[in-house]
Amino acid sequence: MNVEAETGKAIDIRELGKWYDDFHVLKDISLSVSPGQKIVVCGPSGSGKSTLIRCINGLESFQQGSVNVGGVALDSPDAIHAVRRKVGMVFQHFHLFPHLTVLDNCLLAPVNAGRKSRADANELALDLLDRVGMIGKVHAYPAQLSGGQQQRVAIARALCMEPDIMLFDEPTSALDPEMVMEVLDTMVMLAKRGMTMICVTHEMGFAREVADRVVFMDQGQIVETGAPQRIFTAPESPRLQAFLRAIVH
Amino acid sequence: MEFDVAYLAQQWPALLSGLWMTCKVTVLAVFFSLVIGLLGAAFRLFRVPVLAQLTLGYVEFIRNTPILVQLFFIFYGLPAVGFGISPFWSGVLCLSLWAGAYQVENVRGGLLTIEKGLREASFALNLNLNQYFRLVALPLAVRTSLPSMLNTSISLLKNSSYLQAIGLAELTFVAIDRIATDFRAVEMFAAIGVLYLGLVVLLSMAASVVEHRLKKPFRS
Repeated sequence: MNVEAETGKAIDIRELGKWYDDFHVLKDISLSVSPGQKIVVCGPSGSGKSTLIRCINGLESFQQGSVNVGGVALDSPDAIHAVRRKVGMVFQHFHLFPHLTVLDNCLLAPVNAGRKSRADANELALDLLDRVGMIGKVHAYPAQLSGGQQQRVAIARALCMEPDIMLFDEPTSALDPEMVMEVLDTMVMLAKRGMTMICVTHEMGFAREVADRVVFMDQGQIVETGAPQRIFTAPESPRLQAFLRAIVH
Repeated sequence: MEFDVAYLAQQWPALLSGLWMTCKVTVLAVFFSLVIGLLGAAFRLFRVPVLAQLTLGYVEFIRNTPILVQLFFIFYGLPAVGFGISPFWSGVLCLSLWAGAYQVENVRGGLLTIEKGLREASFALNLNLNQYFRLVALPLAVRTSLPSMLNTSISLLKNSSYLQAIGLAELTFVAIDRIATDFRAVEMFAAIGVLYLGLVVLLSMAASVVEHRLKKPFRS
């Protein structure tokens, strides 16, 4: 079965189903994102949010439905590579390469997997490190940086591949409270520049500021979706009401 | 019987040539064993069909048989099936294969300590498995494995003394050869003991220089 992708969609997910052995992680998920849209995905842990966005760049496989990114269906190893060229990802635990300097972290993929000359990659990396406020640390190693600084480098590293879409998997959940802001500011800056973004996060302030749509997931399903204002002020489903009561103190 | 220093001074040229032979065999075998270790660990990590299973069998065979049996198999056994090689290359081959099996496990152990997230981050950046292995996993695994790789290399150096059994004129062979004519066992074994010790110290020092350089990114 090959579902034709809706034209002009950055991401088009149709009836996605995924199992870990007997465990049904994603149940009939459909989600489409237009270029430039910002989606915030929230929900309790174990609800499948991370798994969902990891299906978008092929870090997870799925058994049912289709995922279409920029018109490319994720159905072969070649397609996965083509999609990964367009999709950047930022992880909860940064995952910087610990043996490389900040600058080399940003150069590794563009030079080796991005068919870019070292000089071009270098210029772009310095520009992006400047934009995330890390230009003063280009020769530092990850171990010498704070969590917030590492995450900003990780954002720059992903941007060095010049993606059309950025995926954020709980980018601030592993940070000390006083470092959350600097990372969110970087993400807001990115959003304002028109990047298509899907962010798994519980930062409701961020969602209100930049999200076009908030998607609430529970037990592998999309329970409710809508504009942030509507989701936060007038949640419909009891499950979302309970969730919001629990996270807003 | 007193300790005859003058005798040792007189035997110095013979000891020196034995020492040189020990060094040559050791350096070559350490090099080849590391190559085997990296390849074998890669086969295991990539789960390369056939090669991964062969590596596993090879490692088990080497670890569970005496090195002297392996040496005699290479030196006396291989000629019988048409693969006769000199004592020198028999020695290099034996020590490389012996240490290589341990290096496979050393490198593999290092690879196992690498957090899964780095592989995912590499894939998300569109690096393929081969690039991840070469540019991320291996440089990190080598750092973790360095102490055990040094350990194996030191054992290799010490095990080079087995090569006297196939008539290779390395340090132990020279000592036994001299003792057979001069009966100066105390002097000779003391002398080669000190020389082996010196070599191990040199090897450890070289490794700690390498370690110091490789660990630079991890000092905050």
